[in-house]
Amino acid sequence: MKFSISIYISALALLLLSCDDRNTATLAPDYLYDAGNQAVIKSIINNKKGTISMLYGNDLALQTAHDSLLKPNDGAHYTMVTWKQKPMPHWYGTNMNGEIYSIEHLKVVQRNDTQLAFDYEFQAGKGYQPGDDQPEKEQRIKLITSQRAAVFP
Amino acid sequence: MKKPGLTFYKSAAVVLTLIFVGLQISSPDIENPPVTSEISVPAEVKQILERACYDCHSNEVKVEWFDKIAPASFLVAHDVKEGRSRFNFSEWDKNPPSVQELLLWEMVNAIEQEKMPLKLYQVAHTGGKVSASELAVLKQYVNKLPGRHKIDTARIVAKNASHQQIAPSKTPVALNGIPYSADYKNWKIISITDKFDGGSMRVVYGNDMMVKAIKDHQLPFPDGARVVKVVWGKQAEDKDGNVLPGNFQNAQFMIKDSKKYSKTEGWGFARFDGLDLKPAGKTVLFEQTCTNCHRMFAPQSDFVFNIPTK
Ligand code: HEC
Ligand code: HEC
Repeated sequence: MKFSISIYISALALLLLSCDDRNTATLAPDYLYDAGNQAVIKSIINNKKGTISMLYGNDLALQTAHDSLLKPNDGAHYTMVTWKQKPMPHWYGTNMNGEIYSIEHLKVVQRNDTQLAFDYEFQAGKGYQPGDDQPEKEQRIKLITSQRAAVFP
Repeated sequence: MKKPGLTFYKSAAVVLTLIFVGLQISSPDIENPPVTSEISVPAEVKQILERACYDCHSNEVKVEWFDKIAPASFLVAHDVKEGRSRFNFSEWDKNPPSVQELLLWEMVNAIEQEKMPLKLYQVAHTGGKVSASELAVLKQYVNKLPGRHKIDTARIVAKNASHQQIAPSKTPVALNGIPYSADYKNWKIISITDKFDGGSMRVVYGNDMMVKAIKDHQLPFPDGARVVKVVWGKQAEDKDGNVLPGNFQNAQFMIKDSKKYSKTEGWGFARFDGLDLKPAGKTVLFEQTCTNCHRMFAPQSDFVFNIPTK
């Protein structure tokens, strides 16, 4: 009798403890993007499209982003990485980046003595669906090159 | 072996009774200090909080007869003391408005993640549970708080000369000794977020050890791993739906050292506010507020929220 009571008590204790489960999260390194030696210009949220992006740039691109006139620099490289948004697990009230949706590369090159040109390339990521429209190139170039750098301390 | 005789059981019963009676005499009483500034929320929200949360998070604690019997009474007294110390609906104005909103979001999460009300309380008290439809009422409420759609309309302040000239001797240092350091700018990004309370957007950096641990699926994270989160306000959405960062708000650090920071789950926490990078908090107790929330919601990922997960 005493024995069965102690089993009952420990079962109850186990039951209460097991409710406090600490399932370990499954890490998803494929959502990371390595921008190499490019640094952060700024992040951009788009709730209409359900995406969240990061604009990176090399030193020349950052120079432009810090210039009050946003004068383009020959040799500037930009990378805009866009992820699908997803709700943050375990916290209602934050959206975060999920699967990579697209990667856009933009290079500013000298076409001739007086004119700069833009090399733009769009790469679909895993989150990109075959039916999705590709963004309009000129619009994207304008968006990317018109961004001022976020203020850092 | 000789079986214990009747006298053994008798004396054991006497001893247990004495302990039980002794416990009752030393049993703590729950006092209700005056209500100084009660939370003001719509009636349908208030009613849920009063029924399910006030018994530990207010100065209007109602104690049931069985809660007064030791040893239960000790547990109840402990929970009330702890609960009130975290936040108190009867002394609500002690929290600045932004903290009040954050707490309300945290409450929604505590209920959704089934951390609150405490399990034992739910078992012992009818009405101790919050139903799915009540949780929906609370969610609807927090989504209407002013911070939810807050837009940073102020002119964007860049670093000026006085900010830039932080001499090495003037490096801001958090009250627990963690210094500010800008090397995170060369680290990799591990996450980008849009946070609903307070209207902010964030970029989270991880140092090489942190990124390697994520790639190697290594949890808990190794000593030496570091995470820095940079927070900005949100500007108004443009016609294409783009929302851009506004003013810099703060930078938050987490540094893993399981021995040095064993009291705060192995992480050293620090926050530096504004372009002046003013260390957060008035006393070193600030780090408890950080740990309390990270401990409650992110134990499955070594207390870090912002990691890529499937
Ligand atoms: C039986 C007592 C009890 C009741 C009832 C209770 N709480 Fe708590 N609460 C506690 C204690 C004790 C803590 C601190 C311990 C912990 O974090 O687990 C706490 C902590 C919290 C925290 C974390 C605060 C922090 O420090 O970050 C939140 C949020 C919370 N409670 C919300 C609620 C809500 C919402 C309800 C009602 C739906 C509720 N609690 C009902 C006892 C209670
Ligand atoms: C009310 C709960 C709460 C409190 C209190 C809190 N945090 Fe967090 N913290 C979060 C949530 C939720 C996230 C993820 C959401 C986000 O970053 O947008 C987070 C993210 C972070 C991150 C990025 C790494 C990670 O875990 O995702 C750092 C660094 C951080 N917090 C530091 C701090 C510091 C320092 C304090 C104390 C000064 C603090 N936190 C207090 C809830 C909290």
